[in-house]
Amino acid sequence: MKLLLKGGRVINPATAYDEIADVLIEDGIIKEIGSHIAVDNAEIYEAEGLIVTPGLVDIHVHLREPGLEAKEDIVSGTQAAAAGGFTTVACMPNTRPIIDNSILVAGLKHRAQTEGIVNVEIIGAMSKSQEGKELAEIGDMLLNGAVAISDDGHFVNNARLFRAGLEYANIFGKRIISHAEDENLSSEGVMHEGAVSTRLGLVGNPSVSEDIAVSRDVMLAEYTNSLLHVAHVSSKNAVDIIRQAKKRGVNVTTEATVHHLTLTDDAVIGYNTATKVNPPLRSQDHVDALLAGLLDGTIDAIVTDHAPHAYEEKDVEYRYAPSGFTGLETALGVILTELVHTGKIGLMQVIEKMTYGPAKVLGLNAGCLKVGGKADITIVNPGQEWTVDSRTFYTRGKHTPYEGKKLKGRAVATIVGGKFVMKNGEVFA
Amino acid sequence: MAKSNISLKNRDILDLDTLSTEEINLILKTAGEMKNIMNRDIKKVPTLRGKSIINLFFEPSTRTRTSFELAGKYLGADVVNITTSGSSVVKGESLRDTLLTVESMRVDAIVMRHEASGAAEFAAKVVKPVIINAGDGAHAHPTQGLLDMFTIQERKGRLTGLKVAIIGDILYSRVARTNICGLTKMGAEVHVAGPAPLIPRELAAMGVTVHQRVEDALEGADVVDVLRIQLERQKKGLFPSAREYARIFGINKARLALAKPDALLMHPGPMNRGLEISPEVAYGDQSVICDEVQNGVAVRMALLFLVLMGGKNIEVIA
Repeated sequence: MKLLLKGGRVINPATAYDEIADVLIEDGIIKEIGSHIAVDNAEIYEAEGLIVTPGLVDIHVHLREPGLEAKEDIVSGTQAAAAGGFTTVACMPNTRPIIDNSILVAGLKHRAQTEGIVNVEIIGAMSKSQEGKELAEIGDMLLNGAVAISDDGHFVNNARLFRAGLEYANIFGKRIISHAEDENLSSEGVMHEGAVSTRLGLVGNPSVSEDIAVSRDVMLAEYTNSLLHVAHVSSKNAVDIIRQAKKRGVNVTTEATVHHLTLTDDAVIGYNTATKVNPPLRSQDHVDALLAGLLDGTIDAIVTDHAPHAYEEKDVEYRYAPSGFTGLETALGVILTELVHTGKIGLMQVIEKMTYGPAKVLGLNAGCLKVGGKADITIVNPGQEWTVDSRTFYTRGKHTPYEGKKLKGRAVATIVGGKFVMKNGEVFA
Repeated sequence: MAKSNISLKNRDILDLDTLSTEEINLILKTAGEMKNIMNRDIKKVPTLRGKSIINLFFEPSTRTRTSFELAGKYLGADVVNITTSGSSVVKGESLRDTLLTVESMRVDAIVMRHEASGAAEFAAKVVKPVIINAGDGAHAHPTQGLLDMFTIQERKGRLTGLKVAIIGDILYSRVARTNICGLTKMGAEVHVAGPAPLIPRELAAMGVTVHQRVEDALEGADVVDVLRIQLERQKKGLFPSAREYARIFGINKARLALAKPDALLMHPGPMNRGLEISPEVAYGDQSVICDEVQNGVAVRMALLFLVLMGGKNIEVIA
């Protein structure tokens, strides 16, 4: 079983490779990358004018299974991933029950392998039931397939417990992912605190809440010489705290979401609940700081924080709506439209932040094209124009702040293990 | 009534941001005519006969709800009140479904009060009848803003160039936001003061001057608008005690004397006498608090008339 991707612009950030080339895939493995590969009996995919990249990697998604299938499940979530060009996603443990022991990790992994159409990596909880009181069995989870540990959705308020989690996960060479916010400052907030929240009369979530929490977690990682990943950084001071820590040699990584990189709190005007998210959409100065952090390497990865909710849950008054919205199917188009086509960031760097960068953060064997490696590949048409229409989404979460937005560029094919799971927007189950 | 090209027919009244100065002037002018009707011996006119208005109140209210009810009834409309404690909301019905239910009964206007900022805008997107916001969370209370402007204009003859001091809990106050928006739009100069934790972030971006000390805001003011302080804010730790609030921020005779001698004293109600306002000034010569209530009916009559009839059938009134 051979597949030849012919004449595309192959971009592989891991080796800074950017050439017009053919890619030959055989039995799910990349056999050869080079110009004018001659081969018999191969399925040919004409990639001329298209970009061939490593399969996109998203290390921050919520697939909602088990327990919250009204929002999403492994089938719908991985279909959405395939539609968006993602071949690997890492899912957060805040399901029902919380993924806080090795049986759940292994069971979820097994179900994802059976039912999912892209690679699914599992992140285990740091504390039992994510209550922030006692450590979950971190070692057992990491030895049974979890790739990182996180109480995402909640800040671990108890610094002693967070320190212990960092030290413990470090034994296994894995990262703790911190959801950094001082909840005493932010818990009532439903949007960024600033001129817009003041005008709309919505309770603000101040950026300093994030700054304080990121500071603490970075300090603890430095003190214990352990591995920290800061989830969804969104405030300018937090970016700078991480930048300075990296300069000091602290082993901290971070990610920014597509929406924090491309939207401001102005989007909340009109009280559209599809703009409600935590951390909140912030003001332009914060958005600018995130882009600077992306460009100078402070930010290692672009993620979606794909957080679908059932339609009726979001169809309520702003303050009562749950935080989060869907992102897998819009991410690449939004990034290409807002950051690449505007000249703010180069294609190589963006692809790095969506493939090799995130894979490196979690130590995943993904995000690069190499001969002999698994053929997880995304083919992108950077010039294709399309309009976001949530009715066409594979995800069950139909709320997106990009509804109706005209975008330029999208994934036109997604290949997992040498097989097409998506072609021209159509996902093959 | 003067001819005007401006029509508010079928307009949702969600806040003062979306009303132009011409539209605000039209409402204020119409309110003056309504006030004459209110002061007649027989108040009822048939202008809105055959129109139905629902007061949909998700929060307790005395003056606003009664005021809208009387305004509708004086103009001959059928007015029905729904309060949440006796409605399907306690059975868990969503706001959308409650609105659709009300709409299905073919009402012409929904007057809505809700604890969530943005609820009125939500309603306007969900249903066709005209939505009049009677207060949504900390966001807006446009009829309060209009009746305050009417009251000031009635006494001072103008709004432009007046110095208005708004004192108290700005953070949680829809009255403050609405008055800031409306008064600055009409050319008044707005100053605010209150405990710093109750002043929202970047408030100056709304075109007001923010003061740390209440005395600085009061200096030379033409109007002093005192906001209600809710004691639950104290429990949240946003100010130390009611006693201290009254001492440092409360409007009493000595503080009111910092304003112009003929300054108006306003309060949207309900008052905490002895806390944010002392009884001697609340009932003093400068107080227009009862005028505000009376004018509230006139302003709401004007608004209902303008959004339901578009200013037509005025001859029935005159």
